[in-house]
Amino acid sequence: MQGNSLRRGAIAGLPAGSGGALPAVVLVGLFFVVPVVALLLRSVTDPEPGLQNYAALFGSGTYVRVFLNTFLVAAVVTAVTIVVAFPVAWMLAIMPPAFGSLVFGIIILSMWTNLLTRTYAWMVLLQRTGVINRTLMGLGIIQEPLPLINNLTGVTIGMVYIMLPFMILPLVGTLRAIDPMTLRAAALCGATPFQAFRRILLPLSLPGIAAGGLMVFVMSLGYFVTPALLGGTSNMMLAEMIAQTVQSLLNWGLGSAAAFVLLVVTMALYALQLRLVGAKRPAGGL
Amino acid sequence: MLLDYDRLGWLRMALAGFTALVAAFLLLPVVFIVLLSFGSSRWLAFPPPGWTLKWYEQLLADPTWIDAALTSAKIAAMAAILAVIIGLFASFGLIRGEFRGRQILRGLLLTPMVLPVVVFAIAVYAFFLRIGLAGTTIGFVISHTVLALPFAIIPITAALEGFDKSIEDAAIVCGASPLQARLRITLPSIRIGIFSAAIFSFLASWDEVVVAIFMASPTLQTLPVKIWGSLRADLSPVVAAASSLLVCLTLCLMIVTALFRRKLSR
Repeated sequence: MQGNSLRRGAIAGLPAGSGGALPAVVLVGLFFVVPVVALLLRSVTDPEPGLQNYAALFGSGTYVRVFLNTFLVAAVVTAVTIVVAFPVAWMLAIMPPAFGSLVFGIIILSMWTNLLTRTYAWMVLLQRTGVINRTLMGLGIIQEPLPLINNLTGVTIGMVYIMLPFMILPLVGTLRAIDPMTLRAAALCGATPFQAFRRILLPLSLPGIAAGGLMVFVMSLGYFVTPALLGGTSNMMLAEMIAQTVQSLLNWGLGSAAAFVLLVVTMALYALQLRLVGAKRPAGGL
Repeated sequence: MLLDYDRLGWLRMALAGFTALVAAFLLLPVVFIVLLSFGSSRWLAFPPPGWTLKWYEQLLADPTWIDAALTSAKIAAMAAILAVIIGLFASFGLIRGEFRGRQILRGLLLTPMVLPVVVFAIAVYAFFLRIGLAGTTIGFVISHTVLALPFAIIPITAALEGFDKSIEDAAIVCGASPLQARLRITLPSIRIGIFSAAIFSFLASWDEVVVAIFMASPTLQTLPVKIWGSLRADLSPVVAAASSLLVCLTLCLMIVTALFRRKLSR
């Protein structure tokens, strides 16, 4: 009785209990769900009802190439990010906090710095007459400037730079949750460091790698700014193509169809990622 | 032994070296842009032939840059305030409410963070064109609030989950009204979460490029749109000056956050 009335009393107050989500639902419903659904409807009604936009999308060599290139870039970026992030996360997970917090500070600084600023810096660094080419030529390592920008190399460097924090930070959590005793036990039982890494450390951190990797892959698939500035015209990515189709070609039907494809792929992978992460979470937690 | 820092042996040197390299990689562009903004070379040669402040002078003398920065600050402040208030109510609903579909609702409210921004950008642009909000401050604030909302909900729900509700109930038993208990007990207890929510939702709007590119009009553009336009034209060192000021702002924000957290968690 007492508990019951208490609970009711608490819910009646401000901010209200179950009703509290109402403003958020109205906001997201009206200005997110409605526009997105309207856009998707447009893909089958503009300029006339039918599936001709999807036929055009998958029938044209140009758009299919953009799809393939988008997956290629996202896959390369994810692979490189995982390989670079793992040792760093490993070190951060066990490092004394004094040095660790310095590295964390640098990660946060790069993550919080304006996205365009970071991309601009890479444009300047990677350009034909940029610092990297000049340094390499000055050292006599190369004779001609390397093509580092407006191609896959440029996009990969710029994207890995942006994605690294999103991979490192969750991985540190995964690695810290592993009991060091398991690895001590392996060593006591005669495992070489390589065996212990391959048979114990790597399998135990795999859920974190998979979850983080999927997140990086999904984010890369839909990325607009960095590929648009560091990539070339020959290897355009889906997000940039969608923007161009709508903004320059004013072809809303086709752009909406491409947006729908991106949405479906993203959401499917996101659901997969939630399952991976969700499995680790204690039941009942939000 | 692989997770014992003191017993890693040679691996420790290898890992430490690699971590230092990656840290340098992460720091390099930021430091580099700040150095270049003081360099006198129009073509961004490095090391610069000389040092100058002229790019900063050009930047500050150009009213379009100042306007863009003020517009960004205004929109980000409004979007952050709205996102935090709406997110606070939503978090109470999500954590305290007992209704079916809570998880689905949470998923829905967090979707704007997951969906590729370009999809939302053209969707909301088309929608706002139809209802006459495209190219307006209100349109900007609404679309940025939608994007910032997940960044407000995540830290506030996390803080609320960590808060022991029986303390609030105790206040009510001791005679506080539910409203008083929430305002004077619960809100102060989750203030770190609210503070993080404010910072993150401000940054979500302040740094947002894609929606802004579509939403901007010739008379209304945010700082990222202005930078985007300059980058597409040429790699002018004025952008380096603007970027350095943004880096400076990020550093200030980090320091304020660290100080605040220390003070609040006492």
